[in-house]
Amino acid sequence: MKKSSLALLLTLSPLAAFAATAPLDLVGPVSDYKIYVTDKIDELVTQTQAFTDAVKKGDLATAKKLYAPTRVHYESVEPIAELFSDLDASIDSRVDDHEKGVKAEDFTGFHRLEYSLFAENSTQGLDALADGLNKDVKDLQTRVAGLTFPPEKVVGGAAALLEEVAATKISGEEDRYSHTDLYDFQGNIDGAKKIVDLFRGQIEQQDKAFLAKVDKNFATVDSILAKYKTADGGFETYDKVKENDRKALVGPVNTLAEDLSTLRGKLGLN
Amino acid sequence: MPNQAPAPASPPRALRWALAGSVIVMIAAGGLFYYASQLAAAKRQVNHNEIAVIIHAHACEPNALTVPAGRASFRIINRSDRAVEWEILDGVLVVEERENIAPGLSQVINANLLPGDYAITCGLLSNPRGTLQVTPTAESDAQAKAKPSMVAFIGPLSEFRVYLNSQSGALIKAVSALEQAIAAGDLSQAQALYLPAREAYQRLAPAAQRLAELDNAINARADYFEKREQDPAFSGFHRLEYGLFAQHSLDGLAPIAQRLLSDVTALKQQLLAQSLPPEQLVSILVRNLNSLADVRAASGEEERYSHLDLNGFAANLAATRKVVELMRPLLTKSAADLLPGIDSAISAFAGQLDGLQVDGNYRTYDSVTADQRQQIADKAKALAAALDGIDPALGLTGLK
Repeated sequence: MKKSSLALLLTLSPLAAFAATAPLDLVGPVSDYKIYVTDKIDELVTQTQAFTDAVKKGDLATAKKLYAPTRVHYESVEPIAELFSDLDASIDSRVDDHEKGVKAEDFTGFHRLEYSLFAENSTQGLDALADGLNKDVKDLQTRVAGLTFPPEKVVGGAAALLEEVAATKISGEEDRYSHTDLYDFQGNIDGAKKIVDLFRGQIEQQDKAFLAKVDKNFATVDSILAKYKTADGGFETYDKVKENDRKALVGPVNTLAEDLSTLRGKLGLN
Repeated sequence: MPNQAPAPASPPRALRWALAGSVIVMIAAGGLFYYASQLAAAKRQVNHNEIAVIIHAHACEPNALTVPAGRASFRIINRSDRAVEWEILDGVLVVEERENIAPGLSQVINANLLPGDYAITCGLLSNPRGTLQVTPTAESDAQAKAKPSMVAFIGPLSEFRVYLNSQSGALIKAVSALEQAIAAGDLSQAQALYLPAREAYQRLAPAAQRLAELDNAINARADYFEKREQDPAFSGFHRLEYGLFAQHSLDGLAPIAQRLLSDVTALKQQLLAQSLPPEQLVSILVRNLNSLADVRAASGEEERYSHLDLNGFAANLAATRKVVELMRPLLTKSAADLLPGIDSAISAFAGQLDGLQVDGNYRTYDSVTADQRQQIADKAKALAAALDGIDPALGLTGLK
């Protein structure tokens, strides 16, 4: 039975050198990805509580210290988190997204707190913003739990994360007040690599050379980022990153973004 | 002459009509006779196609079966002296099963079988396994080629695997707490912690019951063991239940609880490792609800020492609700006409169970009347029937 359907496939499409990925083979990786995202968002919720507690207590030093390690969990699961556009705006929008700039009423979330903590060196008047962020990440947790992950969003997420890196991390625009961009950078890369790892078996079946190239570029990016790791497991600020390293990141990041954008097609999800 | 007075022609015409009428009646009668005999033949056909299997005390007869792919009916005749089960296994997974076949009685199992080699569990767990060989047919070959696009099922199946992950994590946690109470020698605490652990199991039961051997280690009743409660092999939840609620003693329970903890830990790992074909996402619920309707509701046999059956039924319903929610977008798109019936069957069953709560807690099953038990069975049966329409409507079974 199996033989005859394979024979049929080969007769009908002489170009099919490899059998297409069976859709049901994607169930394991897609569900493992949801488990991964759920864990990350649980950490986001726990750490956001600690971060906003520090803000509300007026503990500026602790608040500053917790800012980057808290939001990194958001960055690593952005392909899913950003499916909820209202929450993505209230949690992660930049000042540029708001017509009235820093003073805009709807400029909320991490970057609004970042502005006060790092540009103004202040925790004054942030209670409502702190509570709002807490409420939003909990809302995100509930919504993600109830979401059936669209497989094409999961597989497409790897490219989305690399595009995010290319667009917002290399320029240093994301964390412009705190310069903690490297945390987010690593978060995006780890999130993309997780997706590649979860679908590794299926990708390998389709295109071994592709996988080797992707792995190599991930390794290059990781090795450059590793140079800026600090003893406490964090990262140097982005203004410390040398010009030649910034340039060296551009090539592999762009190639990864381009290569990973073909992943959906390779796995039959276009 | 054709245009002569019609009067004289009248009698023969009437005669002709009468003749024609009687011919029609005869043809109709013949047709009816033919139809009836066809119907009888069709009925005989079903019986004729039934494969009889006799369960003796220590083996089945025959113990090796070969059938063509497609729909097969097995009449399982229990000649042993206790209520036992008969299951078709694909590796470690249950394809079809019938539990609690009473001694001296028979039950029919209808299975829709794909080509392949299967094993059979036959009566007592210590009995030798039988074999079932299913041979391909032209029809099964055609069906294998005509499967619909499976991409639509990735989402619901993935979500169900996530559900299995979180619920089996909760089960491990609950069993671990129970095990600790038993290890600490705290009888009343252990009695209190039996319930949440059972509820966690029952939320997984439709999927867990595919894993025949492991599920038996976790959930087998005393009847499945030669010496029943006194059998040294009797273990799992119901051995704990027997100690906690019938003997009111922790004697000998510590190793049973430890083994249960390691079995539910293995259960999580296996539930995540075994892929679930799309047609089974719903059929495992149908099987779970049918066992509730056919066996568990009337007798209260599952929690016979603690009488916590209603909590288990409610947890079974929670699993059904979860799957229906996961399938809802697909059903809305491809089989919307089924949804009102499914939703009302869920509400009816939920309402029946809710009505048996006192102050937000389910009553113990020994206080539930025979009439109420019948209501529970009827509503579970109706829900199973409503769910049974899903697979054919989504093109997942060709033979139903």
